[in-house]
Amino acid sequence: MKKRQPLFHVVKREQAGPSRQILAYVAAVVLALSVGAVLLTVQGVEPVTFYRQLLTMGIPGSRYPWRSVENFIKLFVPLLITSMALALAFKMRFWNIGGEGQFIMGAFWAGFAAMKLGEILPQPLMVLVMTLCGALGGGLYGVFVAALKVRFDTNETLLTLMLNYVALYFLQYFAETKTEWNFFLDANSARPKFAKFPENSQMLTIPIGPFQLNLSLLAAAVICVLLYIYLNYTKRGYEIAVVGDSPNTARYAGMRVGKIVIRTIFLSAALIGLAGAFQVSSAGVLSTSITNDVGWTGVVVAWLAKLNTVGIVAASLLITVLQFGCQAASTAYPSIDANFANLLQGVILFIVLAADFFTRFKLVPRSRKEAVK
Amino acid sequence: MNDPINVLTLFLFNIILVNIPLLYGTVGEILVEKSGSLDLGVEGTMAIGAIFGYLAGCAANSLAVGLLVSFLTAGLCGLLFSLLTVSLQANQNVTGLTITTFGLGLYFFVGKGIGERWPAMTASEGLVKGYASLEFPLLSKLPVIGKALFSHNILVYLGIAIAIAVWWYLNFTKTGLRLRAVGENPGAADSVGVNTLLYKYVHLIVGSGIMGLGGFYMALYMSGSFEGSNCWINGYGWIAIALVIFANWNPALAILGTLVFGFFNTLQIYSGPLAGVFPGPLGWLNAIPPQLYKALPFLITAIVLVASSVRKREGSGQPAALGLNYFREER
Repeated sequence: MKKRQPLFHVVKREQAGPSRQILAYVAAVVLALSVGAVLLTVQGVEPVTFYRQLLTMGIPGSRYPWRSVENFIKLFVPLLITSMALALAFKMRFWNIGGEGQFIMGAFWAGFAAMKLGEILPQPLMVLVMTLCGALGGGLYGVFVAALKVRFDTNETLLTLMLNYVALYFLQYFAETKTEWNFFLDANSARPKFAKFPENSQMLTIPIGPFQLNLSLLAAAVICVLLYIYLNYTKRGYEIAVVGDSPNTARYAGMRVGKIVIRTIFLSAALIGLAGAFQVSSAGVLSTSITNDVGWTGVVVAWLAKLNTVGIVAASLLITVLQFGCQAASTAYPSIDANFANLLQGVILFIVLAADFFTRFKLVPRSRKEAVK
Repeated sequence: MNDPINVLTLFLFNIILVNIPLLYGTVGEILVEKSGSLDLGVEGTMAIGAIFGYLAGCAANSLAVGLLVSFLTAGLCGLLFSLLTVSLQANQNVTGLTITTFGLGLYFFVGKGIGERWPAMTASEGLVKGYASLEFPLLSKLPVIGKALFSHNILVYLGIAIAIAVWWYLNFTKTGLRLRAVGENPGAADSVGVNTLLYKYVHLIVGSGIMGLGGFYMALYMSGSFEGSNCWINGYGWIAIALVIFANWNPALAILGTLVFGFFNTLQIYSGPLAGVFPGPLGWLNAIPPQLYKALPFLITAIVLVASSVRKREGSGQPAALGLNYFREER
């Protein structure tokens, strides 16, 4: 009687070199763009022209090219910081998918500060206060899940997911309730509408010719460098890696796992809240769609980059180019909108997830002799 | 509209009509989670089932074709999820979220691409007839509950039938019990000869297919009118994930849970009329902000989640290996 045996068996591979991984990414992007091209052709859109417009993001030939760059930065910074922060949690295998909620809370409390103190404080101090309020708001919203996880082993994936929607409807309540005490709304508008912040709460900018460099970009760059150092060259960063690999090892080595988890998640959620504060401060007004889905997209970016700090900068640039470029290109095509970027993003990640397997494992064909035995 | 009995009847009728798609999503997700997979792609899977099921149903002018295609296309999402997470060991959270991103992207891409040529549901006699209310003889003539319970379209009853069938399958059949073993401890199930790989694949595909049916229902409920800004599913996929927890991974309880969540969901629209016709006992309804009703499913679920982890109760239906990939060579 013949015994059934699988054709291959799967063996763990030693860590593959970076060249192999970079190759996999380039292949994934090219493949995704090809899939997109086929879909575009089916829709009767010329893919080459569309992609050229997507990749140039409508900047050449524009009358105000610097405006596009400014808008690009406004889209890029929140995504970059959020992805960095999520990667921090993921490194510890804490599945913080509550980025949306923490971002909203950050934006909400920054907005709170702007509406209450915007007339009083000078601009630099005001922006700083907003940033701190945002970080604290987001951080507290996240850390309480971490405390429950540590104390009761509550499932953090599901809990953070639920809290996203609680935060969203909380913000919607303030957006849609016209009463006397609701100082978030524009008093002059008959329909409920968020009021513009006082001038002083606008994010600071550095003028370079006609171009206004958003200060949040510099802040994001500093945060990236600090996080890189924190993760790779400090004791606390090392502790995160150990807890992520094996909480038991960490405990055995005398680390206080609960404390590390709570500290790291507070940092992660606070950074996301800070991204929310940057976002509202740059926009100058609250909105119920303030997150622009960065809480979800950040997960994609962090994973594309394998939680690597440098990789996250590259991946969030790529995703922002796709999203911003799609917006710009779609103005010429009524049948396509920014959602096409989501489609491409999905395909890229599917391919990367699949390719990942082959960098982590290898298939060894079962030899004939063994199969006969 | 001003007759109190009439308002009450419509309120009860809508609790069921509007919220049964949730039941489909929930039952599908329960089947998936019982195999040990946490699929966060419900929203995207339902969207794909909805749009392709609707388009096929219109093209073939038949409800059955629509149901079949929505089941199959959503099942493909399940197949993709199992390929990536079961065979290729990819992270489940990330894969699920990506399916949602991709699914919604494809939904809008296809819908916008069709544009002017979008088929109207009224043009398809098969769908209109198939979705029409079925009046139970005698029972539907009862006051209030006759209309509220016994004069719904066939998909309402199909959803409840599927929920009961899955409940029976999970509790009283050999394969169902084996499936639960796979979700609790795949290594142990594997060692006694259960083909864990096959179990995970099949249930991910069938579970996703059931979610797709719910999407198709949503398409018909929205009379198939495509809007560029809002997806038909409109967050039902996420509520379904919450409902799985609320129902403690039990499809029979999911029916009850659908009614509870549906009650709040529908109250959001009916609080005005109800307060209007019963100003005395229900006048306070007007004072509750509608956003609270929207947040309640998530708030309640968060509380349930925390409470059950605090009490560590025995009867929790959460599969022990939920969200963990099973790598055979590491057994």
